[in-house]
Amino acid sequence: MAVEALFAVFIGLSGGLAVGSGFVAFISVLGIIPRLVQLTRTDKAIQAYETAVITGAVIGSIATLHDIKGAFPEIFTIPVGLFAGMFVGMLAAALTEVLNVFPILARRIGMEKNIMVLVMAIVAGKILGSLFHWIFFVTY
Amino acid sequence: MPQKIYMQLYAGITAQEGQDIYLKDVARLEGEENELASLMNLRLYRLSRKDKTHVVLDLLTILREIHTEYPDIDLVVIGPEQTVVEIEIKKKVISPLMLVFVWFLLFIGAALAIMNFHEDVSMLQVHQKLYALITGTELEQPLLLQIPYSIGLGLGMILFFNHVFKKRINEEPSPLEIEMFHYQKDIEKYISDTESDRSSKSWQSKHYSQSSSD
Repeated sequence: MAVEALFAVFIGLSGGLAVGSGFVAFISVLGIIPRLVQLTRTDKAIQAYETAVITGAVIGSIATLHDIKGAFPEIFTIPVGLFAGMFVGMLAAALTEVLNVFPILARRIGMEKNIMVLVMAIVAGKILGSLFHWIFFVTY
Repeated sequence: MPQKIYMQLYAGITAQEGQDIYLKDVARLEGEENELASLMNLRLYRLSRKDKTHVVLDLLTILREIHTEYPDIDLVVIGPEQTVVEIEIKKKVISPLMLVFVWFLLFIGAALAIMNFHEDVSMLQVHQKLYALITGTELEQPLLLQIPYSIGLGLGMILFFNHVFKKRINEEPSPLEIEMFHYQKDIEKYISDTESDRSSKSWQSKHYSQSSSD
């Protein structure tokens, strides 16, 4: 029994190690944290941001693996939802940016000057697509 | 004694179709004032329809051009070895129809992509679980979490592309501007490396011997 338990611990640990390092690599490749640091001019707080990402990831995995239930008022879900959305939005923006979509598209149709119009199309599409998904699509 | 003049070519410039390109358009010059004034107005090249969208003016051709006119000038060259001239085709005003088409293409595409993403990562289950985690009640459709999420999605994208804190950081370019810059540089590099391939062509840049050009 003890050997089996030890083996399970070992497997769990190595699995977590692989996933965790992959997660960090993913976050760093997209460059969301440097972007936030640049926007807010908080270069000194980078260490704190690292801690935030790590604790967030750990709490998130604990919460999904175990059935934890809080008892906060509903209203608390609004800021959580907003932050979750902003993070995913930044992920999406970083991805399109990494893929070099906008520069190529803007040049092709000769719209280098007002590229923000194209960005706004995608932003509006994301917001309305997401709202549509949650409000109508999932009830089908 | 020969005049010493320092010259630095620009990496890339833009010009209109049919325009004459003078030395002052493609290079910065430094040297004796009198000499510079006439040198700057030396005509190097006239853009024609044949040139299509880009012309590469390479250093040696420019030097030869200068030396035929002013043999006594001793040029010291620093910087890039060629200038890529991007020809601005007379801006056809983008038709509103085209703009609307592209706009809706992106709009619908983005909406579809985010829905696919949500399904792909089982976002609904995550939201239901997250809602239960906070409030303790299970809900099929935790809209109080999901609507702020959707708005945040857009806010996050705008935040990433800047324009919110623009005034505070206006000396730093946004990722989009950097990306545009890199793309432009890549094009210039590609064109200057492929068009003025000195091993396969004569010394003369192809734009001076129109017969050999395409």
